[in-house]
Amino acid sequence: MDLFLQYLANGVVIGSSYVLVAVGLTLIFGILGVVNFAHGEFYMLGAYAGVTAVTLFGMPLPLALAVVLVFSALLGFGAEAILHKPMKNRDATSSIISSFGLAVALQNAALLTLGPQPRLLKTEFSTIPIELGPVFMPLQRALIPVAMMVLIGALYLILRYTWTGRSLRSMSQHATVARLCGVRVERVAVVTFMVGAALAGVAGFLMSSVFMVHPIIGNMIVLKAFTVVILGGMGNILGAAVAGLLLGITESMTSAYLANGLRDIIGFVIVIAVLLFRPQGLFGKAFERS
Amino acid sequence: MLKLDNIVAGYGRTRILHGVTLDVPKGGLVALLGGNGTGKSTVLKTIVGLVKAQEGQVTLAGQIINDVPTEDRAALGLSLVPQGKEVFGGMSVEENLLMGAFHRRRHRTEIAGDLEGVYQRFKRLRERRNVAAGMLSGGERQMLSIGRSLMARPTMLLLDEPSAALAPRVVEEIADAILALRDLGLTLLLVEQNVGMALDIADYIYVIRGGRIAFEREVGDGVAMDELQEFYLGGKEHA
Repeated sequence: MDLFLQYLANGVVIGSSYVLVAVGLTLIFGILGVVNFAHGEFYMLGAYAGVTAVTLFGMPLPLALAVVLVFSALLGFGAEAILHKPMKNRDATSSIISSFGLAVALQNAALLTLGPQPRLLKTEFSTIPIELGPVFMPLQRALIPVAMMVLIGALYLILRYTWTGRSLRSMSQHATVARLCGVRVERVAVVTFMVGAALAGVAGFLMSSVFMVHPIIGNMIVLKAFTVVILGGMGNILGAAVAGLLLGITESMTSAYLANGLRDIIGFVIVIAVLLFRPQGLFGKAFERS
Repeated sequence: MLKLDNIVAGYGRTRILHGVTLDVPKGGLVALLGGNGTGKSTVLKTIVGLVKAQEGQVTLAGQIINDVPTEDRAALGLSLVPQGKEVFGGMSVEENLLMGAFHRRRHRTEIAGDLEGVYQRFKRLRERRNVAAGMLSGGERQMLSIGRSLMARPTMLLLDEPSAALAPRVVEEIADAILALRDLGLTLLLVEQNVGMALDIADYIYVIRGGRIAFEREVGDGVAMDELQEFYLGGKEHA
């Protein structure tokens, strides 16, 4: 039982990172219809930005977090200009190709400039242990779910109670009527990409104390995030949040009780099952797309 | 107030409108009648800028607006109540109404007052203010669409088939609501298939057929139904 709780906690930590990446991905898909294969690169570059801020400039963790947020949002701004704006009047599938191209370009740029050697983040919080009953982990790791809840909570409040948030939601539900109301598609696109990239970048940074950072970490995380997006129902933010945590916990339990090698497979098995029996996703019905 | 001057428009290479001219005077309630596929929806889309006019001019209050983007036309006082009671289904009734005021979102107190005004006008909407708009009935959605447009403080209101797919009793309710809007001083262009409703409330009618205005006439001096039907269903050409 004690071990079970530890596995559960580990699953929540990993799952929190999936939530952060997947919510941005589902937001970009739900509002703009863009399938962003370069989303994993926001995660990767956010991780490098954070590791650099801490190790090279000696920033404390909270400051580094702020730097990563801003840096990743700017990255999202640039990505929108490159892979969404020029494709505006094209078929939705063109975004798949252009984002895939951007992903490859960013990975190789990172490989060229930052090198292939993996890095691990160590901060002042890495050595402080946290004990909650039988569950044990370094403070830095425990902060990941906390940061996730704060950020997703903030996003929820923004979407719900601000004009910007309402304009984003209206665009996802009925783009033409939103335009008739005076909502500018271009501005919504920029904001959406910036938010999505910022969330993914923060996830990358936070996870850099758990997994090694290298130029192709984005590949696996974007596949996991797509898994979560499909499970949660395409474009469903709440669904992505729940599905992200579920996937993290499922993976943790699989590696603990079945076999570690199955850990990365289990999510895809679930996706295939869901697509076969409930193609709208586990929570697809709660969200109406008109 | 609103003038279309010899508008030619369509989608890609397909031309739908072949020179449409019409005039909605300030304070007037003009109806544009036509069956399916006659181009009446395209007229509205051209007015709000969703379809670009290839030839001709759209003039609003003396200003040529051909090149004004759709997003900026609400701020000019032009508002469309779209067809099919289209609402933001996952957002609450109140959020839908607020979206109507998006282009003047800085004026908080004004917006609160206007919201109250819409709730006064459509009491059902106040009762259902926190309900997701997707859960509303057809008639309620139509009211919500009109309410959302009113939140934009329009001077020129376009209505795309407000009576479509509604029960006769609800159509009457909507007709009353439209008349009340005219009494408010709004200028209205009503696009309809429902000839009866249009003749009841409009003071001038145009009939569109094959992308051209086939017939126009003032209402009131008794437009004979059969005369109108002849143009509506086909037959005579525009004199």
